[in-house]
Amino acid sequence: MANNPSQLLPSELIDRCIGSKIWVIMKGDKELVGTLRGFDVYANMVLEDVTEYEITAEGRRITKLDQILLNGNNIAILVPGGSPESE
Amino acid sequence: MSGTEKAGSGTTKTPADFLKSIRGRPVVVKLNSGVDYRGILACLDGYMNIAMEQTEEYVNGQLKNKYGDAFIRGNNVLYISTSKRTLAEGA
Repeated sequence: MANNPSQLLPSELIDRCIGSKIWVIMKGDKELVGTLRGFDVYANMVLEDVTEYEITAEGRRITKLDQILLNGNNIAILVPGGSPESE
Repeated sequence: MSGTEKAGSGTTKTPADFLKSIRGRPVVVKLNSGVDYRGILACLDGYMNIAMEQTEEYVNGQLKNKYGDAFIRGNNVLYISTSKRTLAEGA
């Protein structure tokens, strides 16, 4: 089972995304899109050229961030390739 | 995770590398509550516990408080950022 080349571990999937755009959907009303630079076993991530999307009472707030260390504790979903909007 | 280089991306930068590189620099720390703390990063650890100097507290983008020194417990931290600029608000 472990040596089946068609099987991909979650950590291997994230590792293949290093240097590429990734879309991070958080547990709350937050999403981030940025270039993945690195990660650890807790899914803490270093992201570059990040756009943060926040749903607020006033509407959607967009924040640009140069480089961040994102805490893996609140990550819900990771989508390789960035969000459809960022294309 | 491998420490190898990916095509056209430069070297891998782990969270530990990032933490080492930002000490003594101005940072923005965003908490899970949405509150921002901006100041000089004095020190931090693997739990993301943070000590900051010249700290400013922003709620909904507005300055609410100033602290000479502040300690943030790591479980509250959403992210640590090296710089920030809000682009737009609206539907």
